[in-house]
Amino acid sequence: MSDPIQAVRDFIIERNPKLGEVPDDLDLIDSRAINSLAFVEFIFLLEELTGEPIDPEALDLDDFRTLAAIQARFFSQKASL
Amino acid sequence: MAAVREIEPIVLDLNRLEQMAESGYYNPYTMFDWPDSIEPDKPWMSENLTTLAGTPMWDELTREQQIALTRWEAVNFFSLNIHGIRELMSEVVMRIHEKTYAHVSEFLHHFIGEENEHMWFFAQFCLRYGGKLYPAQPTLKVASADHLSPVAREMIVFARILIFEEIVDYYNSYMATDQTLPPIAREINRVHHQDESRHVAFGRMIFQNLLGQVMKRDPDEVPLIAEYLENYLQYSIGTLYNPAAYRDAGIPDALALRRRALEHPARIEAHDKILKRTRSFLSKVGAGREVIRR
Repeated sequence: MSDPIQAVRDFIIERNPKLGEVPDDLDLIDSRAINSLAFVEFIFLLEELTGEPIDPEALDLDDFRTLAAIQARFFSQKASL
Repeated sequence: MAAVREIEPIVLDLNRLEQMAESGYYNPYTMFDWPDSIEPDKPWMSENLTTLAGTPMWDELTREQQIALTRWEAVNFFSLNIHGIRELMSEVVMRIHEKTYAHVSEFLHHFIGEENEHMWFFAQFCLRYGGKLYPAQPTLKVASADHLSPVAREMIVFARILIFEEIVDYYNSYMATDQTLPPIAREINRVHHQDESRHVAFGRMIFQNLLGQVMKRDPDEVPLIAEYLENYLQYSIGTLYNPAAYRDAGIPDALALRRRALEHPARIEAHDKILKRTRSFLSKVGAGREVIRR
């Protein structure tokens, strides 16, 4: 997939059609755009997009709170390599 | 748990279920004949219950990979049982001597005792023959039902237990008589199926009681509950597709395979079959997916 953050956005919209759009700074957890039932699928999506396993023991919730945080934590380093 | 005080006492007629639990009591620690090893050519889970069954992805596997997949998916299935039991036991233990549950406490003792025994034999199987359990899948440490009222949240606790048990029972009842399986795998499924029929009967009764309390207080909450339950059904199906099991079976591209499998029409048909009984029940009591407001 060419734009991984777009794939993340699509995942969220697909599960929350009422949202319409996902601002970069929307708190995905507090707004329940990603709830605990969708979380496993979300982790698998991120693993697939980054090609790296995510250690469930070492999860920091703040890495998943906003699209901006997800971009910074999972996609920025790769992009600059 | 403060929420429990806001729930009306649960009164159910459980005499028959209690009698059955007493008369059917067995010693799980001595009743199984555990072989040292299982014949290498035997599946551990029924082939048509694996997550690739009915798709070209299954046909593309070598026979060796197919057998390996039945094994690791059996370990995944039993691991899911173990983690599900851990969750439900901790919830029930915290309620068992609360006033709300005083009338059903006798049955809850049987329930917890039996669930503990199930957890033991599932773990025995995984550790003896697979050498491991799969870890519980990651969860958000934020409650997913915070938007609901206390009585609805209480209902969700028992709904999760019920749904989990009904899905598992679909698998158990099939494998209990599958002659292609090694006797020990068949036997574990059979014994579990036998106990779970009582637990499902109890689960449906307590669910209906709590749903009735929700409807009495605020009928407008029912569509939200139905939405949660539908998401929980989908979530539960998703947990059966564990990429770690694909990797252990020597199948490449586990995550892409998982995504393809979950979307495959043959699998969607299989999911509908697995969930049919639960969905009919939820519809019958007024909490089916048709009441969700889109």
